[in-house]
Amino acid sequence: MRKEKSSELPFAIGIPALLWQVLFFYLPLLFIVGTSVILLAEDGSFAGLSFKSFGNFLTPVYARVIFFSLLLGISNTVICLVIGYPLAYFLAFTGKKFKNFLLFLLIVPFWTNFLLHVYAWFFVLEREGVVNTLLMRLGVIHEPIHFLNSVFSIMIMMVYYYLPFMVLPIYSSLERFDRRLIEASLDLGATSLETFRKIVLPLTLRGISAGFFLVYIPSFAEFAIPELMGGDKLMFVGNAISHYILGEGTGSLGASFTVISCTVLLLTAGGFYLLLNRLLTPKQRCDG
Amino acid sequence: MRSITLKRVKKLINGSPIIDDISLVIPAGKFFALLGPSGCGKTTLLRLIAGLEKLDSGQIFMGDEDISDCPINERPINIVFQNYALFPHLNVFENIAYSLRLKKMPKILIQQKVLKILEAFNLEGHIYKLPSQLSGGQQQRVALARAIVGEPDLLLLDEPLAALDFKLREKVLLELIELQEKLKITFVYVTHDQFEALTVADQMAIMNHDGTIEQIGRPKEIYEFPISSFVAKFVGTTNILPGTLRNLEGEPEIEITDLGKFKVDISQKKSWMSEGCEMMISIRPEKILITKKVAHNFSNHLTGHVHSIVYHGRSTQYNLILKNGMRLQVFEQNEEHFPQEVIDYDNEVHLYWQKENAVLLER
Amino acid sequence: MGKIARLLFIATIYLFLYVPIIVLIIFSFNTESFPSPWKGFTWRWYEELFQSTHLWKAFSNSLIVALSSTLISVTAGVLLIFYAAQGGRIGKYLFLFYGNLVIPETVLAVSLLAFFGLMSIPLGLTTLVLSHTLLGLGFVVPMVYARFRELDYRLTEASLVLGASSIQTFFKITLPLLSPTLVTTALLVFIISFDDFILSYFCAGSSSQTLSLYILSMIRSGVSPVVNALSTLLLFLSSLLVWIFFSLKIRARIF
Repeated sequence: MRKEKSSELPFAIGIPALLWQVLFFYLPLLFIVGTSVILLAEDGSFAGLSFKSFGNFLTPVYARVIFFSLLLGISNTVICLVIGYPLAYFLAFTGKKFKNFLLFLLIVPFWTNFLLHVYAWFFVLEREGVVNTLLMRLGVIHEPIHFLNSVFSIMIMMVYYYLPFMVLPIYSSLERFDRRLIEASLDLGATSLETFRKIVLPLTLRGISAGFFLVYIPSFAEFAIPELMGGDKLMFVGNAISHYILGEGTGSLGASFTVISCTVLLLTAGGFYLLLNRLLTPKQRCDG
Repeated sequence: MRSITLKRVKKLINGSPIIDDISLVIPAGKFFALLGPSGCGKTTLLRLIAGLEKLDSGQIFMGDEDISDCPINERPINIVFQNYALFPHLNVFENIAYSLRLKKMPKILIQQKVLKILEAFNLEGHIYKLPSQLSGGQQQRVALARAIVGEPDLLLLDEPLAALDFKLREKVLLELIELQEKLKITFVYVTHDQFEALTVADQMAIMNHDGTIEQIGRPKEIYEFPISSFVAKFVGTTNILPGTLRNLEGEPEIEITDLGKFKVDISQKKSWMSEGCEMMISIRPEKILITKKVAHNFSNHLTGHVHSIVYHGRSTQYNLILKNGMRLQVFEQNEEHFPQEVIDYDNEVHLYWQKENAVLLER
Repeated sequence: MGKIARLLFIATIYLFLYVPIIVLIIFSFNTESFPSPWKGFTWRWYEELFQSTHLWKAFSNSLIVALSSTLISVTAGVLLIFYAAQGGRIGKYLFLFYGNLVIPETVLAVSLLAFFGLMSIPLGLTTLVLSHTLLGLGFVVPMVYARFRELDYRLTEASLVLGASSIQTFFKITLPLLSPTLVTTALLVFIISFDDFILSYFCAGSSSQTLSLYILSMIRSGVSPVVNALSTLLLFLSSLLVWIFFSLKIRARIF
């Protein structure tokens, strides 16, 4: 009977955002995938598809790189989760006065240039940095410890950088949590631990998932931290990709490697997602 | 002021008819109530009139003008939502002035009108407050003021009392009646509370679960002469007794199994009435006399056994069990002008009613 | 007992987060360059910082890019919401914007680099703005759309019933109600763009340097109190922005 309002308005109004996203996000990705599988003949014409370029990477060396990146991603995520969840929990249940202040303190580093934090830790962990100088002064050690250029420094930096990513979503879902559910559970006879496990944890799954993926996905392909704090050892996916893409003539190899590692990432991420759901949802029993 | 006519209006939601072929005339300048159980579609009907929903078939007229295709913002109809829908970022003054500003009225005139209505609604002290700073009753008045200040032809009210507490409800109800009488705007009031509807309405319509109108009429007509058991049970409480119609041509009576024959009054013979047909009578609980003594001058008489008594303050409700196992409800006003007999649990009592007070319903 | 443990735990974490920063700040005022211990208070490193033209160029580049991408992404977001408010079906396309979460920034940077190469788009501020806007959209669209859906639809209905057209309703009711979210989102996007490193590393080319890249070059040349000074200033800036963000968030709760 009446005209549909939406047909009056051209789709063009809403389009800029969509267009931009497709053009500059998905098209380039497609291009990278294309580069790795499309073969070009001498004259530049299309010569068919081939997965041969992927073959270059099915060697132990590269498998190692991907494996270590997975390790990096997972360990970082787990550490952040183990530290982050309790932190978020305490923050959510603190009194109002402190809460805002603590949140403020948490977000400030988060909103400060990441490189400055890298530099700060450099400053602290360097051979002639604060920690070493202090320890030498106190006579605890006689030679400076090589903190930097090691897994240790990488891990510290990763946790340092990614902790807020884990804490904030969990904090958010805990904030909204209905306290009365906890009261009801305790009233019905559950202990604090049981209440946490059966009521709080499952219902904050959303926040945990969000935090998990906000940390895991970037961690896997982390480039800057291993590059800056790990020295020249080409250990991780991020470094490898950067090396190939920016190197001479290795562009297409870079594309293939990117596609492979991204696929691995997405597969593992998907797997974790399912696992997380399974683990954190208490089994529903209907057998009385 | 123009009347509103709905012609064969139909609205489907997810394939099923929420409003099924409704035709209705809402007389101009009157207080019209639309009463029905929750979920029957009365809010949908209201939204159709306002233009917030599209008709699937049928037409809506304002006077002679077909407004079925008229867009929402062009209809001279305003609605007061159940949750008031006050604009949270605008203060009281701006909320009320909203429609006037849209009409590009001169600022001085807007100020005049808004201030006048603020006074009328006792809101002068709250002009610059935000909705979140007002009480429920105040918010409702702002919502009402906002809807009226633009002088619409029709005002729709969607369960306006739902969010208020009990004491406030009665007061607001009376204020609404006064307001309508003063403004002479047509009000359409939607509710599931039959007390509210009976109180405010000049004219009311009863809607059922199927999305159709069961009965339209003045409150007293609907209450005293319901045309179906649905209406009889929904508007007020009633006792429904099933039986067979006997002696149609002579002195008509209803024969109820294991209970006996009772006189009925047929002032208007309906088409469904025939000798020996199945039917029901509806007797309002307040129309039955309950007493331990013997009374005369009543057309009908029964005996019953007091099962439970509920004290309501101004009245007492007796729940009785009859000889044939059926139950009956009787209300008695606690006048106590003179010393009364005491009726207690397990008492055997006499029940009397006049045949004119029983309504005959089709089975 | 539990209370003390809790306090200790929180203190430790925050200490971990802040010790490097505090040390950094302290030594930005040291008269002599590290590793010498504290010698005296001086502004000298700050003065040196402010005289560096490279710094200001990098700073203004970052500023331009951040402002542009914030502006573009927020505008695009508002247009999208406008379309949705008039009845456009956006919901099903929303998943497109979640790509930002699923694809790591490194992969995106690399794809863009290749793409720009293919399209022969010269690397520079333009490519930076293009890529940072992507980051912005990934935040703006989901966040603002979510808030939009939370709005009480009866408010728009009330506006229409009172005589406003669809467009008037959008500007008088919808947009004002969305503005707190728009502002906080804009702030977030600004910061993310301003602090961004990876996209800048790959897509800035040799001609334009952003603040992050400038800091990188300084770090590469070793520890220097000038960098400490820069860090302190930027920290101060961030604190200010976070403070603004917090005050807005608290105000937004009224709606």
